[in-house]
Amino acid sequence: MIYLDNAATTYPKPRPVIDAVTRALRVYGANPGRSGYSMSIATSEEVYRCRTAAAGFFNAPGPECVAFTVNCTNAVNYVLKGLLKPGDHAVVSSLEHNAVMRPLDALREKGVTFTKAEVFRGDNDSTVDSFRKAINGRTKLIICTHASNVWGIRLPVERIAALAHEYGIRMAVDCAQSAGVLPIDINGSGIDYLCAAGHKGLYGPMGTGMLIAPDGGSLATVIEGGTGTQSALSSQPVTMPDRMESGTQNVPGIAGLRAGIEFVKARGIKNINRHEMEIIRYMYDEMSKMKYIRLYTRQPQPEYYVPVLSFNVGSIPSETAGRLFAEKGIAVRAGLHCAPEAHRFMGTQENGAVRVAPSVFTGIGEAKQFLFALGRIARDNH
Amino acid sequence: MGKYFAVGSITNALKGRDILSGKGIHSYIERTPQGMPGGGCGYSIYVPGDFQTAEKVLDSAGLTGGRKEGNRR
Repeated sequence: MIYLDNAATTYPKPRPVIDAVTRALRVYGANPGRSGYSMSIATSEEVYRCRTAAAGFFNAPGPECVAFTVNCTNAVNYVLKGLLKPGDHAVVSSLEHNAVMRPLDALREKGVTFTKAEVFRGDNDSTVDSFRKAINGRTKLIICTHASNVWGIRLPVERIAALAHEYGIRMAVDCAQSAGVLPIDINGSGIDYLCAAGHKGLYGPMGTGMLIAPDGGSLATVIEGGTGTQSALSSQPVTMPDRMESGTQNVPGIAGLRAGIEFVKARGIKNINRHEMEIIRYMYDEMSKMKYIRLYTRQPQPEYYVPVLSFNVGSIPSETAGRLFAEKGIAVRAGLHCAPEAHRFMGTQENGAVRVAPSVFTGIGEAKQFLFALGRIARDNH
Repeated sequence: MGKYFAVGSITNALKGRDILSGKGIHSYIERTPQGMPGGGCGYSIYVPGDFQTAEKVLDSAGLTGGRKEGNRR
């Protein structure tokens, strides 16, 4: 199989990730943060190593700012539902994933409103201006994707964060597609809430994600329960990370995530980004010469895009194209990618699109095989 | 005799231990002894040696909480 669905979850996982998960299952078998015997402390140390690695990776003030979640969607929910109250207003971009739009839709029933700011491709000034115009006197939060999971379009989140702070507004960023592919500096960027998937560009196991928030303790909670601390109190602790981590943690997943973060650090984000962008640009250039292939963006440049590319094959429904690729042993993602807003943005909300996303393990040979299969599919169906 | 510093979560305890270690102060992580402030459960850092310096270091790191002198259990 040629796997080009890395924007959904990366595959294969690096060997050290697999080893770390296996080791956690064998060695770190006690509940972390709950007891004082040696295996419980050793397990806690393993979780702490991942917290420290993540804090260093994103330049967060300290490991206590890192709360582990089951995925990026959960982290986004913690922010939206923990911060926004009836009467509050939020600003989002026109490229958001349902991880942002569905919680906001649910919050709308409770009196929260939101405005979509238009994104202008290749024109960050206009995009920032669009966010500025969407702010009103009740705006409490700007939340946006760092990079579209459909089109790969990057948003100037540092500039949007500066804008937010100018108005005393909090800034949250959905880094599902950017963590591990773009450098992210919490201290330097002004991001208040960083939501990340562990299983995509960080190469951790599925079932891992993070909310990184220096001021996370001020968020209202969505889930409460046992934290191993202040157990005599009926109220949830206000300190991070326990405030956001009720119940037993996914220790094998967290151990794997630590190994994934270290893998990315060792390879270097710049090198990973360069490699994947080379693959994407090669695919784009070849596809742009092919008959029947519909591309929607300009040639992806690193300053404006992450290595994600969506397209259509003539009039073939995207799901049909996805099936035809699957029959040829090529894994792509078709449909709406849980991001109907992003498809509305490009006018593809009816048919969706076919998405390819390489990983650090994808080679140019696989890209060529994909292009050969694409040529066959296009020819055979027109 | 040393001193227990109740710091709440295991994350705080490990962070505090690492900071103290960086200052050359040896410490142990233990469950918080009963009777100490902190709302029940949680972790303490036990410093058997120079706990006056340790206290200043932990204070400046924001790791404040209950404190109690005593021997390690």
